[in-house]
Amino acid sequence: MNDTPAQITLDQWDERYDQLRSAGLVEPSYGGPLRRHLADGDTRLAHLRYDNSPAALRLWNFLLTEEDRLRDARAAGAKIVGAMKDLGTVAVMACSMDNVVAFYPDGAWWIPCMMELGAGLLNIADSLGFDESFCPVRAMLGAFVTGEHFPRPDLLTCSVGATCDDFSAIAQRIEAMGEKIVWWEAPHRRRPDRGETPVELPGGFVAPQCQVDFVRGELQRVADALADLTGAKLDSHMLAAGIEAANRVRAVLRELRQLAYTAEPCPMGALEMLIAEMLAIHFCSDRTESIAVLDGLLDEVKRRVDAGLGVARPGAARIFWINPVADLRVMNLLEECGGRICGTEYLFPHAIDKIPTDIEPMEALARMALADPMIGPSAGRAARICDDISKFGAQAAVISRISGASHCAMEGTVIADRIRKNLGVPVLEIETPPLSDSMRPTLKTRLEALVEIVKRQKG
Amino acid sequence: MKSVLYTCPFVPAEWIAACGLDPMRMTPERAGEGMPAGVCPFAAAFIHAASTTNACAIIVTTVCDQMSRSAEIIEARCETPVFLMNVPATWRTEEAAKLYRDELARLGRFLEDLGGAKPTPEQLIETMLHYDSLRAKRRADDETARPKGLPLILAGGPLRSTDIEIFDLIEQAGGTVVLDATAGGEMTLPAPFDRARLASDPAGELADAYFARIPHAMRRPDNQLHEYLNRELTARGARGVIYRRYQWCDTWHGEAGRLKDSLPAPVLDLVAGDDESDRAHVLTRIQAFVEMLK
Ligand code: SF4
Ligand code: SF4
Repeated sequence: MNDTPAQITLDQWDERYDQLRSAGLVEPSYGGPLRRHLADGDTRLAHLRYDNSPAALRLWNFLLTEEDRLRDARAAGAKIVGAMKDLGTVAVMACSMDNVVAFYPDGAWWIPCMMELGAGLLNIADSLGFDESFCPVRAMLGAFVTGEHFPRPDLLTCSVGATCDDFSAIAQRIEAMGEKIVWWEAPHRRRPDRGETPVELPGGFVAPQCQVDFVRGELQRVADALADLTGAKLDSHMLAAGIEAANRVRAVLRELRQLAYTAEPCPMGALEMLIAEMLAIHFCSDRTESIAVLDGLLDEVKRRVDAGLGVARPGAARIFWINPVADLRVMNLLEECGGRICGTEYLFPHAIDKIPTDIEPMEALARMALADPMIGPSAGRAARICDDISKFGAQAAVISRISGASHCAMEGTVIADRIRKNLGVPVLEIETPPLSDSMRPTLKTRLEALVEIVKRQKG
Repeated sequence: MKSVLYTCPFVPAEWIAACGLDPMRMTPERAGEGMPAGVCPFAAAFIHAASTTNACAIIVTTVCDQMSRSAEIIEARCETPVFLMNVPATWRTEEAAKLYRDELARLGRFLEDLGGAKPTPEQLIETMLHYDSLRAKRRADDETARPKGLPLILAGGPLRSTDIEIFDLIEQAGGTVVLDATAGGEMTLPAPFDRARLASDPAGELADAYFARIPHAMRRPDNQLHEYLNRELTARGARGVIYRRYQWCDTWHGEAGRLKDSLPAPVLDLVAGDDESDRAHVLTRIQAFVEMLK
């Protein structure tokens, strides 16, 4: 059995899968050949390049079977919570309760890409007045209308306030269609005024205690809604245990990121790492299994690092990537152009930070929620990005603007300026739609030019 | 007297005035060049105007993502102190109302640092009564104005000073605006003050008149906006709604489809960009709308 790391196509995975099976591959219940997901309509899979490890296979299968998992959970009597605009807070609370499964309806963001617009979700959003001036999360509206991509949640929560306008407007439309939503307020994070008690948040931002107290009150309202749903109270012990489990996910992910983004040659591709990071937010509807999936990926990365093996050529340009990209294929493209990921900020670095365990659990979650870089000044987000660029030793940054996103127009400039000024690192801003094939030549030229600049600087 | 610049309807002018400063509500002009693509034209215009103001301070609110982010862009462009006021999107909980009240108190401390003075309850009551009577007069004037043409409601996002001509365009097309329900128009005036409460808790009454009562597309849930427009359509005998929103404004855009579905009168959805040449096109659309209603 050849264990040399490589990035392979879906066709190559067919052969690889048979080989692995013959060699005794043991898979979880959701395992199987990747190709079968094409039949579910995930046609983008045919155009991606994948890591060839069993660990990556498990990651992809875990991701692509979430809907089945949710429907099985419903059939088994579990309550399903849709945690909207939640970057790792409500999911932690919900998963602390027995017989509750949380999922992330916002994940519909990628359905237009994965199904190559075949699901028609954007057309439905268009028909309801949410055109391309909104970010791709408008696909979620279509998903609620068709009911085909996730089961109807028993409870729907949504954070608003300092979160983005796109989501707030879309979620409001969903509520108007008859879905009851528990809205909770995320205030715009600010620095403490004179005389206010400062609190250091996970990740290093500082906020006044009164804002933490406010968020704590909002999260308590969510906890009350969970209690109404389940008939059981979410007590401190349960929440502490849930936080401990979430911290396990985050710890594995931090170690994985550290290795994957710094080792030379690059031990794991950009695409698999992007998906791995997403597990931190919502555990793909199964927290225990997400730990197992990440552990598998980490073991594989460690094995490769020890053996000096990787998926990219040694010396690939070290790129820090900002914001998730609407078309997953662009992550492959970066590598084809001679780059590799060397640090990321996919809008939720606070969901990878350790949740404090030396304070009362709800207080810890409130601090974590308030540490979201998106709910404070862009300059704060930019500063954290600069720190991470230095920490990971990236040589250039790509800001992947999200088409239609209300935050991108203003913050992109703030972030790019700060990186150039503080670090002198080249920055490329790109914007990709869910299917970027028609602009692939342009994107390729621009990414190649960035890689070229990095190489010249090295020389 | 030092003036304090703001544009958001959730900023109480009487609070600034009671602190001894001059509230200057700005209707910005169309902005020039210099903002990245994707920025709402109103936010761009506000940034432009605020960055060159002579006021002693600028108040920006978190009413939308772009406005929240405008605060730091203005701060980077000029020396004038900027106060970013948190206006919660949720409004049905006591906690949200308290957050707004706390923000008013924080604004008060900011104004004191600028040379303002903490008002006594009597000063605050007097100032509130003054503003309340000005608003009452404005409402009465609006109500007694006899429509010359087909009665219409103008609703949607805020207007820049250069956008005021939409009223003329509507008249040219044979309509009359019987209610300005844009953000900044009559719809976003605070509720008249409750005199009994005013005497005992002026700060609380001020906060409630603004926070609890102004219908705005940013509120979650948004039913106040829909209830208000439904009610006023009937009360004012309006035959249709001209809904004007900016390109890249998700907050007001998000309401357009639902208003079309739910209001008992036709809605014309107008998207305002930054192109002067839109004028003829806008007029044609309004004319067609008025024709259709006749
Ligand atoms: S991508 Fe940006 S605009 Fe879209 S839902 Fe996420 S945070 Fe909001
Ligand atoms: S028009 Fe819309 S995007 Fe522009 S400032 Fe107002 S609410 Fe914000």
